[in-house]
Amino acid sequence: MDYAASEPGATAVASALAIKILIAGGFGVGKTTMVGTISEIRPLHTEELLSERGIGVDDTSGVESKTTTTVALDFGRITIREGLWLYLFGTPGQDRFWFMWDELALGALGAVVLADTRRLEDCFPAVDYFEQRGVPFVVGVNCFEGARRYDPAKVRRALALNESIPIVLCDVRERESVKEVLTTLVTYAVKGV
Amino acid sequence: MTGEDPGPLLRLFGLTGGRARPQGETFDLVAIVTTVSGSYEPAELIPEHRAVLSLCQKPTPVADVAAHLKLPLNITRVILGDLRREGLVTIERPRPVAQTIDERIYREVLHGLRSL
Repeated sequence: MDYAASEPGATAVASALAIKILIAGGFGVGKTTMVGTISEIRPLHTEELLSERGIGVDDTSGVESKTTTTVALDFGRITIREGLWLYLFGTPGQDRFWFMWDELALGALGAVVLADTRRLEDCFPAVDYFEQRGVPFVVGVNCFEGARRYDPAKVRRALALNESIPIVLCDVRERESVKEVLTTLVTYAVKGV
Repeated sequence: MTGEDPGPLLRLFGLTGGRARPQGETFDLVAIVTTVSGSYEPAELIPEHRAVLSLCQKPTPVADVAAHLKLPLNITRVILGDLRREGLVTIERPRPVAQTIDERIYREVLHGLRSL
């Protein structure tokens, strides 16, 4: 095995680090688009198989008699260097998959809550969730083409956001714009500004 | 979103002996999986096991293993749990973010993002 393991990365064991960032927001707000705009790989779409009875339970028994359902999970990757990656996870939109958020949020550096000003209320659950869990987040107001620019102060008031939480106007289809959202988040999560 | 064809599901659970949860300590979606080099490789490994051992000679996050195998995350985790129990891979528990992201890594991430 030692001889076969000629991959250059084999020495990176000690320092390998994958940083998790969540992309949340209402259905159709552009979460998957945002991941796709910045990810170096096509957003990977995996389906989680869930056995309804086993949810939240350490269950190693058979699943034959259970109802199974699937929830799609999209994620993308940005390689910073060998052994250092950012992973972007689009959170499942439906409320009944909240339990998956707990796992996604655990150990996450932070989250981007995408907001659509035409349906601001869609992102209330995500804002509440991250506030309650103490997960650092920024709000990205996705400015769809043709939509008028919104005053971030109005968004802040509507979402009852603390003054310290950054609000970034963005276009999730634009790479530079997504980079700005992510650098804002990373700085806010690490430095608190 | 809800699978209508039970065929693929049955095949997937066949890979895990019907189990939906991995054995042993749970691990995160971005926990780093590394093949234990020099370990004895049992002859009866299924192709998915071999694929993991080959891929994870380079430390690889769980989510990426799932993507490479084209399998759902929790099926992948059962497979990884089995390989860990056999001592063929290690799965590193992610450390708290505050401890892992120091000034140097923060700078690296910012620079990396900006130069994309």
